[in-house]
Amino acid sequence: MILDPELELHPQKLIANRKRKADKFNLYKAIFLDIFFVFYFILVVQRAIYYKFILNLSDLPFSWNEILSIFIGSVIIGTFWALSKTSLSCKLLGIAKDNKTTKWTVEIFGWSLFNITFIAGWIVTKISIVGLFSSEGIAGAERLFGAMFTPQFRIFDDALFAMIETIYIALIATLISIPPTLVLSFFTARNLMKDNKISFAVYYVLRIILNFIRSIEPLIWAIIFSVWVGIGPFAGMIALLVHTIASNAKLYSEAIEGIEQGPVEAISATGANKIQVVWHGVVPQIVLPFLSFTIYRWDINVRMATIIGLVGGGGIGTMLMQYQGLARWHEVGLIIIMIAFVVWIMDYVSAKIREAIY
Amino acid sequence: MLLEIQNLHKIYNNGTHALKGISFGVNEGEFLVVIGLSGSGKSTLLRCINRLIEPTSGTVRFLGKDITHIKGEELRKIKAQIGMVFQQFNLIKRRSVLSNVLNGKLGSLSTFDTILEKYSDEVYKEAYKCLETVGISEKAKVRADSLSGGQQQRVAIARSLMQSPKLLLADEPVASLDPATSNSVMQYFEKVNKEFGTTVICNLHFLSLVRRYATRVIALKAGEIIYQGAPSDINETWFRTIYGEEAEEVEIR
Repeated sequence: MILDPELELHPQKLIANRKRKADKFNLYKAIFLDIFFVFYFILVVQRAIYYKFILNLSDLPFSWNEILSIFIGSVIIGTFWALSKTSLSCKLLGIAKDNKTTKWTVEIFGWSLFNITFIAGWIVTKISIVGLFSSEGIAGAERLFGAMFTPQFRIFDDALFAMIETIYIALIATLISIPPTLVLSFFTARNLMKDNKISFAVYYVLRIILNFIRSIEPLIWAIIFSVWVGIGPFAGMIALLVHTIASNAKLYSEAIEGIEQGPVEAISATGANKIQVVWHGVVPQIVLPFLSFTIYRWDINVRMATIIGLVGGGGIGTMLMQYQGLARWHEVGLIIIMIAFVVWIMDYVSAKIREAIY
Repeated sequence: MLLEIQNLHKIYNNGTHALKGISFGVNEGEFLVVIGLSGSGKSTLLRCINRLIEPTSGTVRFLGKDITHIKGEELRKIKAQIGMVFQQFNLIKRRSVLSNVLNGKLGSLSTFDTILEKYSDEVYKEAYKCLETVGISEKAKVRADSLSGGQQQRVAIARSLMQSPKLLLADEPVASLDPATSNSVMQYFEKVNKEFGTTVICNLHFLSLVRRYATRVIALKAGEIIYQGAPSDINETWFRTIYGEEAEEVEIR
């Protein structure tokens, strides 16, 4: 059985064909990238630098017609630029002509792109040295810091209980996350899933879903779940759980992708089936990294659980929010010191455990 | 004929044309050595034989059966009959020597039993026998990565012996070992070849080892066979053709 009938006659032809196809695909990518670069460049120069900084307008004029015309202009410039094979994207994708024009356009345009981005960023951030060092502001900060360093120990019992609640929220979220994360990590490891089309589709869809879940911060999840299941520790725990599963599945699956391929190849050469290859070739190599990630994640979750409390996820964060709302800075001071202490201990302990494992 | 290869081509996805029309046959009981520079296609050839990779065109016949494009269960059955030893030993480092050797049996045991590591007494006995064959049974309980390179390679040989292979492939098995250890590891391949009559196909670099152990030699250059014959017939001229004009032979004893 011959897969490609042409191959018997011209094996070299196939190689040339593949190269041509790859170059063509790269050119399409370059056109899109160049259009994007030019569009971004014009838009930033016009809106952030010209309107906002030079004309100092507080309300930026906005019209779809204007943006559309800029876009059409960018499409024309970007397309021709990419087709001439002297553009920035052509250089990035390795299909540019090797001549002086390329060198100059890449250097000048590349630098301008970087510089206008930095300048626009400066303007948008409203950086103000004056605000940082005004006497009024400094006085406020002094009052706050002063109160924090003379903490109010009357609420120590309550704070301790809330702190323990926070640690348990983090612990339970981490523990419950382990089984689903394990299962998901195998299905999102590229090296295990790429061989066949169906498994690759599963891999791809799962990756997209997990990326989406992970890109939403635990804080937002806590807001969602405090509406769903009501304010309290349970909402905080589910929020952490969801985010932990999504992020640890990524870390685990990267550990799976980073294993030594040699032993896996050796096991599959013995005629072992897929499940046996994973169990005897992959699993022994990843048990320790997995354990290490999980312990580290507990540490992270304790820190996150305090933040999640701020939006109603229970524990010490909720308590902090209450006293901050009442402007009772001495109590706030005690709570912050306790959080810092616990986070420091967790950090130290988890680092020690992880060291001992490896 | 045990193995028959006809007009084998392999083109990788990145466009590398690793094998360009290889044809040869291997009889039962032979000790065939494949030589050639790094990148000449030796490893690709071995991996096409036990189908760790799929050839682009041509045919591979093993025991008279066309295995060039077989898949799934059928492919696993073939793989289970062909042992393979690698340059980097490829043991599971954190597991014991014994469980590494037991891994060689995976192809012929049920998935469920192997996951629970439920092996019968016969299988254990067999594993110890394989370890004895390579003279390392006293190390059965220690972790694989605590052994020296030569010992690890012997464990790898024991693992492939667990398959009771008809054919044993060895991909530069001594390339990361010192000269003295190289020779002792090669002696175990010879033992397997002579005592069990297992056919061996081995990639090697050192001509002195080739002359000592091979019954027949194939030389590859840029994916093509440029020499085929007895090891004793490789003279100075052939050596330079195979390894390039500047090459000089290095002795290892």
